[in-house]
Amino acid sequence: MKILVIEDDATTGPYVAAGLREEGHTADLVTDGREGLLQATAADYDVLIIDRMLPLLDGLSLIKTLRGAGVRTPAIMLTALSGVDDRIEGLEAGADDYLVKPFAFGELAARVAALARRPGLQEQETVLRAGDLEVDLVRRRVTRAGQEIELLPREFRLLEHLLRRKGRVQTRTMLLEAVWDISFDPQTNVVETHISRLRSKVDRPFGSGLIETVRGAGYRIAG
Amino acid sequence: MSRARVLLRSSPVRQSMWLSLLFVIASALSLGVTYYVAHGTQDRAIRESLMQDMAGFRATPSAAALAALVNAETAETDPQRRLLSYRRPGGRIVAGNAAIMQQQEGFRVVALGPAPVEIAGRFISLSAYIHGGLLTVAQSARPLDELRQTYLRVVLFSLLPAIAAAVLGGVLLARRAARSLAGIETTLSALTSGDLGARVPQMPGRQGDIARIGRSVNRMAEAQQQSTEALRQVSADIAHDLKTPIQRLAVQLQRLQDTPGLPEEAQALAGTALEETRGITSTFQALLQIAQLEEGAPRARFEPLDLCELAATFAEIYEPAAEEQGRRLSLSLPEAPAMVTGDRTLLGQLLANLIENALRHTPEGSAISLSLRHQGEATILSVRDHGPGIPEEERGKVLRRLYRLERSRTTPGSGLGLSLAAAIAGLHGAALQLSDAEPGLRVDVVFGT
Repeated sequence: MKILVIEDDATTGPYVAAGLREEGHTADLVTDGREGLLQATAADYDVLIIDRMLPLLDGLSLIKTLRGAGVRTPAIMLTALSGVDDRIEGLEAGADDYLVKPFAFGELAARVAALARRPGLQEQETVLRAGDLEVDLVRRRVTRAGQEIELLPREFRLLEHLLRRKGRVQTRTMLLEAVWDISFDPQTNVVETHISRLRSKVDRPFGSGLIETVRGAGYRIAG
Repeated sequence: MSRARVLLRSSPVRQSMWLSLLFVIASALSLGVTYYVAHGTQDRAIRESLMQDMAGFRATPSAAALAALVNAETAETDPQRRLLSYRRPGGRIVAGNAAIMQQQEGFRVVALGPAPVEIAGRFISLSAYIHGGLLTVAQSARPLDELRQTYLRVVLFSLLPAIAAAVLGGVLLARRAARSLAGIETTLSALTSGDLGARVPQMPGRQGDIARIGRSVNRMAEAQQQSTEALRQVSADIAHDLKTPIQRLAVQLQRLQDTPGLPEEAQALAGTALEETRGITSTFQALLQIAQLEEGAPRARFEPLDLCELAATFAEIYEPAAEEQGRRLSLSLPEAPAMVTGDRTLLGQLLANLIENALRHTPEGSAISLSLRHQGEATILSVRDHGPGIPEEERGKVLRRLYRLERSRTTPGSGLGLSLAAAIAGLHGAALQLSDAEPGLRVDVVFGT
């Protein structure tokens, strides 16, 4: 993937760019808002990573200008702010995702991957499959190797979310947002607990693990 | 309060009411005095005419002549207006047009003639013994009654319209003033609820006191908005200037942790240090957030939400953590949804802070209960633990920023949880109350009172 990083901080910018390159992406780094705007409109990027506070042109105005000009490239906003309204302001300006500093690189990488493939979401499907696991979204039925599995509503949502994003890592905070509808991290092990319950129902009785733990990042179902 | 009552209580209406009352009293007084004088004059005129009549009759030489004169006058007199009666000592009527009889309830007058007719109405009479008989002359008091009628009509047709005009004028003035005041009132409540851009609509050309107050309110709002802007800017600058280095620190620690061949011990240290940076950020975040909330910022984004659903979600989220410590986190919800208008993220943080506070400051294995109940108009969200509680004299202080009880110095936490919860409650118009659960601490968040 071709990614543009617009970040003025001399440590964070290069670190993010280097990390993305290590993951096999092409990453360009610019350090001010005006340059970022020029670069984002000039070249064809798959994802933009934009710091909110930038010299010459701040991140919010930058993204508003881009959206106004019809540039639809998915964008993640990085910010040191995390006030009550800041997140919503960022999303309203046209950002697709929002990440508060300090963040772990794994979190950013997972969100970049999620954004890049967003249009590919299989929203229309009514039956999701992974190996011999089948989830019927209409009848709310889960079976594996033809055997029916009883899931609680939250476990069902968690499984559905992971299946819809097969092959992509979902971090704790992404799961909290999607499954529990919470946009802050309550610092509990609720995600881990639910993953473990889900495994005990979906994986353990069948002797093979569909739900993988990605160290330092999150969880995924291989696809 | 109904609109009419609000209007009645407004000062212009009350002023006009007082003025009308004063006007009524003055008019009633002057009308009363003229009536009294006119009545007296009329009354005197009647009595004088009676006395003249009597003098005329007295001038007759004999009883027979008197009777003849009375009869002559009677022939031309309407008994409804003038009564004459001359009777001898035996009681027999000698001459006249009326018989006056005393009865228990007063006098009865019967007109004599072809058919006796009882005469009603008030009369003023004069009696005298002349030539051995009793002569009574009486005149109808109808002119006096008519005078009274006239005065009543004057009152009705001049005073009442004047009062009506005064009241109507007062109400119109009051409505005009009420409109200007309502503009100020809505602006003030918009300002208090966080809409700092609200201004009193200006009516050009108006110079009245209300218009002046409106302009002062606008100047005040302007100043408030500017200082809030300044504070926001400072908060943003601090956040940026401190969080960016923290981010750098986190980045470097992460790189250290990822360095191949690092001894396990060093890796663990880097991990702990990373955790610390997260702690610093969350304290910092809470401080900034409390400042923002106390400014009364973002009520514009409030939406209706169900507290039951939120409480259930957070009970679920903290259940694993509670279980790990051998605790029971129980949840009790009302049957009906508990709708409030608010910000889901903030109310979630409030709940998270209260539950975390209970988990943190109570011994392992003790129970925590989360409950939601309706009480009259109010919806009360309570978190109750079985820990040591908070001494009464400290309860006010723990809501302050960074205040921690002496015994809690060693437990983790920023000392901001309860103050953030109180700030969030305040923004939602709810009150956060601490009380003794005997044993334990009980935190009530009272919505909608």
